[in-house]
Amino acid sequence: MILENVAAAFGHILHIKTLILMFVGVAGGLIAGAIPGFTIAMAVVLTLPFTFSMPPEQGLATMVSVLVGGLSGGLMAGILTGIPGTPSSVATTFDGFPMARGGKPGLALGLGVWSSFFGGMISAVLLVTLAPQLARVGLEFQPWDYFMLVMFALTITASLAGKDIVKGLIAGALGLLVRTVGEDEAVGMARFDFGSEALLQGFDFIAVLIGLFAFSQLLNDVRDPASARTSLSDKGTIRARIEHLAAIKVIAKHWVVIVRSSLIGVFTGILPGAGGSVANILAYDQAKKASKNPERFGTGTPEGIMAPESSNNAVEGGALITLMALGIPGDVTAAVMLGALLIHDVVPSPTFIAERPVLAYSIFIAFFLATFIMILLQSGMLRVFVLVTRVRMYILAGVILGFCGIGVFAINNVALDLWTLLWFGILGFVMRHFGFPLAPMILGVVLGNIAELNLARAMAIDTDLTHFVTRPWSLFFLIIALFSAAFPWFQSARGKKKWTLFYMPAACFAVSVPLFMMGGIPRPLLAGAVLVVGAWVLYQRWKGGWTLAAYNGHELKED
Amino acid sequence: MDRLNRDVYVAVVLLLFCGVMLWASFDIREPDYGVLPPSIWPRVILTVFGLLSVIYLVQSLKRGPDDPQAFPGEPTTVMGWVRYWWNPVICFVSFCGYLLLLPWLGMLISGMLFVFVLLSALGGWSPRRLGIHAVVAAASVGGMWLLFTQGLNVLLPTGELTGI
Repeated sequence: MILENVAAAFGHILHIKTLILMFVGVAGGLIAGAIPGFTIAMAVVLTLPFTFSMPPEQGLATMVSVLVGGLSGGLMAGILTGIPGTPSSVATTFDGFPMARGGKPGLALGLGVWSSFFGGMISAVLLVTLAPQLARVGLEFQPWDYFMLVMFALTITASLAGKDIVKGLIAGALGLLVRTVGEDEAVGMARFDFGSEALLQGFDFIAVLIGLFAFSQLLNDVRDPASARTSLSDKGTIRARIEHLAAIKVIAKHWVVIVRSSLIGVFTGILPGAGGSVANILAYDQAKKASKNPERFGTGTPEGIMAPESSNNAVEGGALITLMALGIPGDVTAAVMLGALLIHDVVPSPTFIAERPVLAYSIFIAFFLATFIMILLQSGMLRVFVLVTRVRMYILAGVILGFCGIGVFAINNVALDLWTLLWFGILGFVMRHFGFPLAPMILGVVLGNIAELNLARAMAIDTDLTHFVTRPWSLFFLIIALFSAAFPWFQSARGKKKWTLFYMPAACFAVSVPLFMMGGIPRPLLAGAVLVVGAWVLYQRWKGGWTLAAYNGHELKED
Repeated sequence: MDRLNRDVYVAVVLLLFCGVMLWASFDIREPDYGVLPPSIWPRVILTVFGLLSVIYLVQSLKRGPDDPQAFPGEPTTVMGWVRYWWNPVICFVSFCGYLLLLPWLGMLISGMLFVFVLLSALGGWSPRRLGIHAVVAAASVGGMWLLFTQGLNVLLPTGELTGI
């Protein structure tokens, strides 16, 4: 049965039209990822309208290709100009740019490209093996658990706003509220329509996503008239030839860095909300700590390029694991992928892989294949990238704004969606200006329906609200949601306030309770281990006389 | 008033918005069926939203006035404000114009016009630039229009005046 499904999925993906679309998708992603100011999420969301008329397998394969291309494209600008193409490749510039300026741009690019490749491969293997396992765990979830999982996804995404967590939570709540406009899905009553036919239909969520993410980003890019009229090539000469062989030799010598960073990427991706922008910094930090020569970091050391590039490519495999197994997007890009599934009438849930195996395997295969295509296209795209960098920013922005209009209309053939695009573009621009992160709002918009439907289902089964704290999974998500919401305060007070000494042990003790409640053998064992870790940390703090240790770490912040 | 920072104003706007939406939530009809009335979920969100806005307001009030160096380059005069926001405002206005012209000129013509006007407003009106912008607008919107209508069989709106 599995072989039949895999063969059917191969049949879809190896179709000549799909392959051409995948090549175009990877090429487009590479270019979009390479242009500073154009994010991967923006590239993926702008691909959505094209995929609307395609079969789901083909559409999803195209979007996965754009995603994989975008993840790898950021390194070109980062290494050659010192300006990261995407937030996911910020750490790549720390060593990539110095190496390129030091006369080895070809090696720096080669290291970036091949690290991206291996990171993508490791994450693809973990995606194929872990997603079905996690889906099995997901089958245990009841509506109460799902509701709490959504709340956890929102709080952890908001917590990435660092000390602005309140703004992050407000953005998340605003996203949930936006989704309530129009007829409610449970009983079909009008909500917040203010007597308008247009509002009664509700906001098309793809138009909302494109408005919030792409439209507002483009407005931001052209805000400064001087930089809008400059091109990337004005900032330096961009010429290099990728040194593939030399790069592979260096990577073979430092393979541990690749494996460790890829694992960091995958597990960061699995966590809802934490995307490549977090993973690349974390992986760089870990590579520096583990290195025998940490002082070389920042001067053009190969590990400094390999760590962030393998981790940021591995992130999406992790994000897709959560999306395909639980129906919860791991980050903003996965949220857009969820949108792509929804417009093809596919609702991801723990039964998704079992019920739509061909589509699921198509996504797996597309992820693998796109990583290979990325390697094939990198050298060619570098030349295109050089050409694109000569185009002034305002021309790119104007053309893409024009495309936003056509693309949004094409999804539903409704002109009102264009007004939605405009209003949410303005809203996103204003929110960015006042420091509100957009990621929680986008997750709120995407997950709003899932939260409400599960709340309604839970209430239909039993109106007793105590299930939210007595069911193990629900309690588990509630606890980690509370601790993730408190994390920014912990981070800013760490080393300064006594209470921070108890944060980690308290989190361990609290999390162990629902794990014990789950029963069976492995989970109580895990709970015991977590409890021991908490007790050990507490013992160490007591032994140290409850002294506050100084903390010097990178602040993790979602762009 | 000088003692307030800009976050205070944002928090007040959010609280007002929250109040209006909460008030509007009482217009939601309650059916006789279903366990979860349709107004409950929005009210739960609005309650959380309101609480967070109050926390945001208190935090902002505690912080005191804005540091003049906190937002370098931001305008302090009306003309400076206009110059600072000129490009985004041009984008909004031209996109609005595009949407208003859409029923009359259709997606192809109004789209080309939008991109041409926007590029010229952002990039300059010299004859050479106008030529480049016209070519870019025609090629990009025309190409996209062809791709959607011919390649993907999507019906894009035609104009009452132009017929295309």
